[in-house]
Amino acid sequence: MRIHLACATLALATAMATGSALAQSGEITIWSWNVAASALQSVVPGFNQQFPDIKVTVEDLGNQQVFDKTLAGCAAGGAGMPDIVTVENFEAEGFWNQFPDCFANLKELGYTPELQALFPDFKRTELEVGDVAYAMPWDSGPVAVFYRRDFYEKAGVDPATIQTWDDFIAAGKKIAEANPGVVMSQADFNGDSEWFRMIGNEQGCGYYSVDGQSITINQPACVATLEKIKEMKDAGTLTAAIWDEKIQSNTAGTVASQVYGGWFEGSIRDGSPDLAGKWGVYPMPSLTADGPHAANLGGSSLAITNNSANKEAAWEFVKYALTTNEGQVTMLREFGLVPSLISALEDPYVSQPQPYWGDQPIWSEILATLPNIQPSRGTAFLNDAESVYRAVQTRYFNGEYPDAQAALDDAANQIASATGMPIAE
Amino acid sequence: MRLRNGPAYGFLAPYLLIFLAFWIWPIINSFVISLHNTRVNPWVFNPAFNWTRMIGDPAFFNALRNTLVILVIQVPVMLVLATLMAVLLNSPRLKARPLFRFAFFAPVVVGEVAYSAIFRLMFSFDFGIVNKLLTGVGLPRVDWFANPTAAMAVLIMAVTWRWAGYNAIIILAGLQSIPEDVYEAATLDRVSKVRQFFFITLPLLKPILIFCAVLSIIGTMQLFSEPFLITNRGGPGQATETLGLFLYRQGFGSGNFGYASTVAYAIAALAVAISLAQLWLGREPK
Repeated sequence: MRIHLACATLALATAMATGSALAQSGEITIWSWNVAASALQSVVPGFNQQFPDIKVTVEDLGNQQVFDKTLAGCAAGGAGMPDIVTVENFEAEGFWNQFPDCFANLKELGYTPELQALFPDFKRTELEVGDVAYAMPWDSGPVAVFYRRDFYEKAGVDPATIQTWDDFIAAGKKIAEANPGVVMSQADFNGDSEWFRMIGNEQGCGYYSVDGQSITINQPACVATLEKIKEMKDAGTLTAAIWDEKIQSNTAGTVASQVYGGWFEGSIRDGSPDLAGKWGVYPMPSLTADGPHAANLGGSSLAITNNSANKEAAWEFVKYALTTNEGQVTMLREFGLVPSLISALEDPYVSQPQPYWGDQPIWSEILATLPNIQPSRGTAFLNDAESVYRAVQTRYFNGEYPDAQAALDDAANQIASATGMPIAE
Repeated sequence: MRLRNGPAYGFLAPYLLIFLAFWIWPIINSFVISLHNTRVNPWVFNPAFNWTRMIGDPAFFNALRNTLVILVIQVPVMLVLATLMAVLLNSPRLKARPLFRFAFFAPVVVGEVAYSAIFRLMFSFDFGIVNKLLTGVGLPRVDWFANPTAAMAVLIMAVTWRWAGYNAIIILAGLQSIPEDVYEAATLDRVSKVRQFFFITLPLLKPILIFCAVLSIIGTMQLFSEPFLITNRGGPGQATETLGLFLYRQGFGSGNFGYASTVAYAIAALAVAISLAQLWLGREPK
């Protein structure tokens, strides 16, 4: 009897504390991918304590599929869209440019200047156009090298000595010799450009200028980047593997290192639980001994669709997941998503040693690079640049250009003809 | 007259309405869109914008060349294989013919996605059975999906595997319609089996072979699923991108619907040209 009474009191107290929340009910659906989807799923229990009547369904469709389906759905006037979509920051501007009516203005739902100030400015630039905020920043992707301690040790390679990409190549040769059947690292030469974007960003170069007004793919830093990638490919440091194959290689123990944004932590930990203690992290090498060691790859945001029947409920979820330390740190802890929320970076969890990573405090090490990351802009024409770059890269590897400068000059010309943008001097 | 035809149009109306809404209207609308610059919002009428881009677009010509390479290599290879399979299936000495007939036809029954996934696995660099077999006999591994030529070869093998048996069954039907007595007469005249094949079987099969060629060429022009799924969207770096994939990428990758519509019209024009050429080649000698 007494227990029942206590329960009733507790329920009443909870109800009073979250009085406005009780007004919210209904169902919302979210499109996302891989660990990002799992991470959103992991904050649902916490969200449901405050909003028990909102049923959240997270659909894990895969990264490319979310982009494809969102674009097709927006082109069809919003038909078949969920309430919330995950949008990669780099690709975001294409959506706002083509389909401004497809997404709700978060400012009308309660995205106040106070809430906006919780995120760094560079994360918001791509998500807001004029007075409209189309999406809220979620995570970022500070790049790091994820490596197998045992493979490195067997070859007598100390990761602290790998300062340049040339060191990385030399280490790769030793590691491949000492561990038969193991490759140093992998790159998606088939359907992505992640290595070019990572090293390019590290060196301060990208497809487009940071103001989004001109093409910069043939600037010297980009040329040096492409040359180094070919060197790594020719040396066998990098072998071709798409995303799924990288994950398979991690689990099968046929790869010694993977270079990716911080969010890859979750994919390793989630994909290869048996390898606990064998993985470690070190900062990305640079082109020169005194060069920069910081870059960003990936990073996403959440947008609410205009066709959503329950925008208020969707907004409450976005607000809980992204603007509270509770939501963001849960996603970091469970699936390695690096928060954009500034206050979450000071959470005690960040400096804790991580058991899976051999008790290395990987988060404080990875996050320490955040202030040094140079901004990079995808613009509304990211896809044009991407496909041109991939084709040019393949032909350059095949020896169809005299050198990297000629290859990227050709790429710049092709991007200019596809987008009408000028090539930077 | 008009009164007599009235009910007929009445009965046709449901079909005509659907035809109008889902065929005629998109055809007209995509033509209108192709005359717009859709890189800006809102779209701007600019008739030459997309067409001038296409004429100078190396990516378009790359897709065109890939499609033609597949057309020129894959279709003849497949039809030769299909004819051989059909002749073997037609042999009176063959036992368990229904089993073989089913086995040759089976690849068509398999879903596109399933068979594409299997091909991708078979040719995987690290874990694929093909590279295991190659290393087993002392040959070097091939990085199938990172090498443009190898990726194209995988694509051609996959499409051939899937459709050769289907064509063989059609050709087999043609073979069985050739009367036995022609062969009996030839045998009495001591014409060898090989000469019988070249001078009796092939000429009588000509209409069937042209039919198969037309079907295969149309299929190749529309090739989409295999390069999308097996070589990961026409990879590496658009080395296996077909026209269909290129159109899709412009429309649903870059969101550039004007250019995608222009490409669609170019593909349609190409299909008309190839069809006319085929009609001309297949015409009855006067």
